[in-house]
Amino acid sequence: MSEFDLKAIAQDLFNNLRSKDCELGVGELLAAMEAIDGGFGNSLPELEITLRLLWIHSQVEYGQFQLSWENITSRLITESEPKSSQPDRLSQLEQAEDDHRQESFSPPIKQEPETPPQLEALPVRAPRAPFAPVESENISFQTSFPLTRRCMAYAWRSLRFTVADGKQDVLDVAATVDRTAKQGFFLSPVYKRRLVNRAHLLLLIDRKGSMMPFHRFIKDLVDTAQSESKIQKVDVYYFHNVPATSVYRDPYLTEPIAISDVMAGCDSDTKILIVSDAGAARGFRQMERIQSTIKFLFLIKQSTNLIAWLNPMPQERWVGSSAKIVANLLPMLPMDRDGLSLAIDVLQGKFLT
Amino acid sequence: MNPNTKYKLDLKLSNPHADAPKHPEPYIANDELIKAVNLAIFLRRPLLLEGEAGCGKTRLASAIAYDLGLPLYRWDIRSDTKAQEGLYRYDAILRLHDVQTKEAAQAGKRNPSDATKYREFGALGKSFLVADRPAVVLIDEIDKADVDFANDLLGVLDEPWTFEVRETQEAPITAKHKPIVIVTTNKEKSNLPAPFLRRCIYYFVEFPKDKLKEIVEIHYQVKKEKAPAANLVDAAIVRFTAIRDAQNLFKPPGTSEFLDWLNALHKFDAQPYSANELAKPEHLIPYRELLFKIRQDWQRYAASQGS
Repeated sequence: MSEFDLKAIAQDLFNNLRSKDCELGVGELLAAMEAIDGGFGNSLPELEITLRLLWIHSQVEYGQFQLSWENITSRLITESEPKSSQPDRLSQLEQAEDDHRQESFSPPIKQEPETPPQLEALPVRAPRAPFAPVESENISFQTSFPLTRRCMAYAWRSLRFTVADGKQDVLDVAATVDRTAKQGFFLSPVYKRRLVNRAHLLLLIDRKGSMMPFHRFIKDLVDTAQSESKIQKVDVYYFHNVPATSVYRDPYLTEPIAISDVMAGCDSDTKILIVSDAGAARGFRQMERIQSTIKFLFLIKQSTNLIAWLNPMPQERWVGSSAKIVANLLPMLPMDRDGLSLAIDVLQGKFLT
Repeated sequence: MNPNTKYKLDLKLSNPHADAPKHPEPYIANDELIKAVNLAIFLRRPLLLEGEAGCGKTRLASAIAYDLGLPLYRWDIRSDTKAQEGLYRYDAILRLHDVQTKEAAQAGKRNPSDATKYREFGALGKSFLVADRPAVVLIDEIDKADVDFANDLLGVLDEPWTFEVRETQEAPITAKHKPIVIVTTNKEKSNLPAPFLRRCIYYFVEFPKDKLKEIVEIHYQVKKEKAPAANLVDAAIVRFTAIRDAQNLFKPPGTSEFLDWLNALHKFDAQPYSANELAKPEHLIPYRELLFKIRQDWQRYAASQGS
């Protein structure tokens, strides 16, 4: 056995990881204890591997684990280190410090003569090319958002408008039995039509400006709605700041389309989801922005009442900005796990109380 | 069975099970992976293997099953697989058919009054029925399934390890020995749900870069075939690792591609490919089609060699 109380270390690490949002339950702690009793962690390195195998489930969590593990064990090792090795460590430390000192002194710091600030024209920024730089939009870091891709895919599944309009190949047992009983003999089974999801979702997405940090995140939302959901028709249009009389077909805001044309394809069952920070990111409260938003909402409410607004900024940031005012006009929800599923409830016609 | 195996099972068995793999599986596992397997066997939690394709995720299960003499049941997951299919399937239509054609059909066939004739156990179901030892169940490519699949599976892979065949009204089937479950994923489609991950022992299978020589040796040893000459193997390893390291390939070739490629070098032509030729870095490698599976990769490689 090791000189350390391995179970206490495991317990410490467990608490540590839990406080850092790793999803671990009591079952995992008990499993670790069982593994330690079973001889799967007789020394510190052994224990590290065992706990890592049991508790870590992605490359991202691994970094967290290593940090916590080093924190805990380095404390223990320094506490229990025998005296004889102290001088060594001390001399090593001194050596390291010397090196450090030398390093920091060897290149003499040049004092730049202070030049008085000069007035210059601001550099002109070239307009953004209408294509995505590969490096900024195609890297997949899906794990650090408040809403994972999986959650989105899952949430979209409850967005439905089912109609018995598919293939006629579902056996209707009750009707078959009923007909057989009436006829006195069995002739043929009764089939009914398959249910299909005829939902129509219209996504209106704010781009650029204050929405820049969320582009990657919202791309996931659009991707999952289009390719990992069973929604029959997903239309996506983009706008900048406020949806005005026209919106854009592409995320780079180059192909405008009149909002009346968009609304022509909608009926009272169309579900409209707007994704925008409504000025909450910068804390704006501009009257014209609010007014044009109201005008726009008035326009789309003539077609459908199934409208929700997702705001990627956390709710505490809405206060004092135009977001708070817009939130009084329609259900506005923060873009996290609960927010998305509530927004979908709204789109399904369940109104929030 | 392999008496020198490093996988530990708390059960002494003298002979392999009838459903155990018949042929030894050449597999070189590093210490940490062996520990992960032993931990999975000890705690009877699923072992989740993640990693790029062709690095031996699937092979591990048959190596374990062969070494320990345990039956192996493999379950390949498709996009429409349901969790219940792993336990059993019930063919109601066949039974209805048999009822309808009872008089016409010849005697001695299935008796439709016996419902158990129409249920067939799946990989997990079979593993619950093995009486004297645990079975190894391989759930391959779990990420292909629908989003609900892993959650449904959790209900079965936990206490009390029991399921019921509703259609036949048999007594619930309880596992006599909890199965050893190996799950593989390459995260192609989606992430797995957190509750499922929490129960799993997670191991990331990396490309066994330093063990290629060992793998080649054991591979030919087990197949009882003459191994390629040592200088050919060395040259092949050097070229192969250079391709993996240098190129920014979209789909880097894995261990299985390497073995195929080596085999082609060794035996495809009447004479083995010359090791000296292969060792020249300025020459294009032969049998490129075995290593590059995407046009882009192929072209990128050709371009880098040409310049």
